[in-house]
Amino acid sequence: MITEQEHSHSHHISSVKLLLSVGAALFFLTALTVLVSDLHLPSPYNVIAALVIAFGKAGLVAAFFMELYWDKRFNAMLFVMSILFLALLIGLTVVDVLFRPEIIPSF
Amino acid sequence: MAQSTTVTQHDSHVQHHFVNANQQLDSAKMGMWVFLVTEILFFGGLFAGYTIYRMLYPELFVQASIELDKVWGTVNTLVLIASSVTVALAIRSAQVGKPKRVITYLVTTIILAAVFMTIKYFEWEHKFSLGIYPGKFYSFDGIDNPKAHIFFSFYYLMTGLHGIHVLVGMGLMVWLIIKTKKGEITSDYYNPVEITGLYWHLVDIIWIFLFPLFYLIK
Repeated sequence: MITEQEHSHSHHISSVKLLLSVGAALFFLTALTVLVSDLHLPSPYNVIAALVIAFGKAGLVAAFFMELYWDKRFNAMLFVMSILFLALLIGLTVVDVLFRPEIIPSF
Repeated sequence: MAQSTTVTQHDSHVQHHFVNANQQLDSAKMGMWVFLVTEILFFGGLFAGYTIYRMLYPELFVQASIELDKVWGTVNTLVLIASSVTVALAIRSAQVGKPKRVITYLVTTIILAAVFMTIKYFEWEHKFSLGIYPGKFYSFDGIDNPKAHIFFSFYYLMTGLHGIHVLVGMGLMVWLIIKTKKGEITSDYYNPVEITGLYWHLVDIIWIFLFPLFYLIK
């Protein structure tokens, strides 16, 4: 049987306050990433700092704006898997290029 | 037999192959997420290329990034985040059954997207006037590096592909406004708003990565 409850809104509805708070957090993190870039951190750390903040912002958007926090876990799994496969693509390509004796001429 | 009568009595917006509205929305969302996965891997190829070239020519990326205006990049990031907030508010308004507010928020989103594209246009226009074109059309001599065109090829490809996504998103918002005006978006059926929202937020996420990777290199 399909109950009335199942039929109507069992989906999460975010409050205006939550949506605005997430927006404010994203504004703050944008300011933070600009400020951190002005610190002129030495080479790998500047990229790491920028990426950590970017992943934090992306996480906020995915969890609250895209509702993965309340959603079926399957959708979150799809998202995480896409990131893992992307890491595999970038990682293996980087390894290939790094361990070549010399730069490919056309590069 | 009572069960089958219940199933056939469901609302007009539920397609006959779904059990109920909830299942229909869940299926639509899952389908959209599968599409977003392909989008991530689509942009992913460009991110992989970017990674390789930044690894091979780290000093080039530092030199060339100076030509990008950090202030306008930051403004555009804030504009796009604000547009994500308005889309999220549009979805909420649809869920609680306030179609007028849905339209207001969607119009605001289109305006913010237009501001983003206008700033992007002036950034590109400025570079073109300096002779900074992608690939072999590059004719700017302000950067002391023979590979300078490579940085800008990535810049134009990645921000350009992202820009096309913003334009598509604006078109989808117009479609949603028309649908809402026709009364087709209700608190019982707001799937198109929710699905378009997922797309728009992903476009926002991609920009969240493009911004520090191009504008904030020191």
